[in-house]
Amino acid sequence: MSRHLMKGNEAIVKSAILAGCRGFYGYPITPASEITEAAAALMPQVGGVFLQAESEVAAINMLYGAASAGVRAMTASSGPGISLMQEGISYMAGAELPCVIADITRGGPGLGNIASEQSDYHQVVKGGGHGNYRTLVLAPHSVQEMADLTVLAFELADRYRNPVVLLADGFMGQMMEPVEFPEVATEPRLPRWAVAGTDASRGNVITSMHLDTDKLEAHVRQLEAKYFITEQREARAEDWRTEDAEIVLVGYGIVARILKAVAAEARAAGLPVGVLRPITLYPFPTLHFQRLTARARAFLVVEMSNGQLVGDVRLALNGARPVEFFSRVGGNAPTHLEVLAEVQDLARRHLAGAPAEEELIVHV
Amino acid sequence: MATIIESPKSLTQADFKGRVDPDWCPGCGDFGVLAAVQKALVELQIPNHQIVTVSGIGCSSNFPGFIETYGMHTLHGRSLPVATGLKMANHELTVLVTGGDGDGLGIGGNHLTHTMRRNVDLTYIIMDNQIYGLTTGQTSPTSRLGMKTKSTPHGNIEGPINPITMALAAGATFVARGFSGEQKHLTELIRLAIQHKGFSFLDVFSPCVTYNKDNTFQWFRPRVKKLEDDPAYDATDWLAAMEKSTLWGEEIPIGRFYERTDLPSLDQAEPVLKDGPMVGRSAHIDPAVAQSFIEELM
Ligand SMILES: Cc1ncc(C[n+]2csc(CCOP(=O)(O)OP(=O)(O)O)c2C)c(N)n1
Ligand code: SF4
Ligand SMILES: [Mg+2]
Repeated sequence: MSRHLMKGNEAIVKSAILAGCRGFYGYPITPASEITEAAAALMPQVGGVFLQAESEVAAINMLYGAASAGVRAMTASSGPGISLMQEGISYMAGAELPCVIADITRGGPGLGNIASEQSDYHQVVKGGGHGNYRTLVLAPHSVQEMADLTVLAFELADRYRNPVVLLADGFMGQMMEPVEFPEVATEPRLPRWAVAGTDASRGNVITSMHLDTDKLEAHVRQLEAKYFITEQREARAEDWRTEDAEIVLVGYGIVARILKAVAAEARAAGLPVGVLRPITLYPFPTLHFQRLTARARAFLVVEMSNGQLVGDVRLALNGARPVEFFSRVGGNAPTHLEVLAEVQDLARRHLAGAPAEEELIVHV
Repeated sequence: MATIIESPKSLTQADFKGRVDPDWCPGCGDFGVLAAVQKALVELQIPNHQIVTVSGIGCSSNFPGFIETYGMHTLHGRSLPVATGLKMANHELTVLVTGGDGDGLGIGGNHLTHTMRRNVDLTYIIMDNQIYGLTTGQTSPTSRLGMKTKSTPHGNIEGPINPITMALAAGATFVARGFSGEQKHLTELIRLAIQHKGFSFLDVFSPCVTYNKDNTFQWFRPRVKKLEDDPAYDATDWLAAMEKSTLWGEEIPIGRFYERTDLPSLDQAEPVLKDGPMVGRSAHIDPAVAQSFIEELM
């Protein structure tokens, strides 16, 4: 299999096409515009439709239409654009329509800046729209994963009939690395629920409206059951040298790469440090966390946001181990020295020979 | 001998120079629009503190930073609703709204239609470069059919919006088109637009020298023809304006297409604003009034 050097943003589009995506509806925004531009160039070459919408509100609703017709479709945006898509995402989740949304995050709130942050975590993972719904969220940490997780995103979207978000920071989009693509492209079948213009699909109705209270309750319960299944089956995380780790560093995307460098250095200095990297942010890899408590004394969550992922880590551990937090925001990435200093401090306090619990109170 | 009455200190263009130097590319059409706005404000002698410049997001939307007035840099496409809220809170302010073709006609297109329909007393200047400048060169709602941009690498398959026809149809009470390369003419249009009571719409050709190689200064210059050069043109005739608005190609009309002054602006039509602006009013409610609306069964 051949490897090709390219940017993460470009890998997403090529991978999407190989996954059978034939509709791209986008609106330019830095740092996601390259995805839109690559789709504009490549979609027509494979008989796919590219359209630059007049806004992100329009783009997500074009996905609603494409998905209803049974075509694999995607869009890409960043912070402010994702905010505008939330209404449509809620409707698509309600109507059980598959689609893939790449969110190449930037700094916020508001216009913020165009540097990398991870501050879309809450709006994407918790669902920024209204109602009882979830989106499945995948967080790549390499250009190869930008490609691989795009394929997975389309599969999950179809399997669960639900929007799937690929959540990557601006670094992931810009970074160039060698990528391998699957040799065989996916040829998705027309979903049986689609409004396909065939005799067989005549009775199909796509809607998120259930005026009858019992019917809406039943619908929400059915969505819940579906999400529960994803929690059982689809949670993914990478364990990096956690087998003997007493301190576990937690982060996703670009942060995870920094954490691996930190862990390697800490290990060289004799500290048993590992990295747990959530790959699915929803469903959250809760079991992966719980498994580590057998050995781990403490967890350090590092984010480029002001404490968004850390909440899910605390819920997963449910008080079993102390969870500490380090962040940089505004478009600044944590340096490996900063994190290493945190790790050394943590080791002093939590590993053998650490001072008594009472002194730790301010840190937990 | 005529007496010349001078105000104690008359405002000059330097008084409207912003504290930040424009970050536009050298040669960008937006410089000409900024200069023309400043000159029009000098002609009108409106004190800086009575003016608010509101924009969306884009190269052109950086405008409020470069002029010495109150300024608001708002959301992409949302400058008009923000300006409407501002105007209804304090209609004594002179409110200028600036932004790009993408900001105003794409993502903000819906707001534009309704702001025109409401005849909100704003001066709205679209700095139209037929491209998305800030995001480095994608197609815009005014990009021509066939145009190659970063998001239309195989050529634009969509036709452009005609902002003038659209404004006329939506009920704008002042509709004009200017060109950044025609300073005197543009300054005059902006002055008239600010003086107009009601919604003034100005579509201004403001070439993007970096990302639009089709609609350059050189392309516009021989094509633009001033409506004001035709003494027979009547800017109160809506049908004539509609007809003129469709001209495009070797001859592109610029100037005031249309103006009507018989309709109240939104603040004039709003009864509660008859006694003056909302801002600064006391929020005192007579206890009897409070009692009566609390008891009112809706
Ligand atoms: C919701 C949202 N989507 C996208 C963007 C990115 N964006 C900033 S400016 C702009 C368009 C710029 O084009 P235009 O309005 O024509 O202004 P110009 O830069 O050409 O002056 C876009 C898409 C944004 N800031 N917010
Ligand atoms: S990119 Fe174009 S519109 Fe933006 S400042 Fe430069 S020339 Fe002007
Ligand atoms: Mg523009």
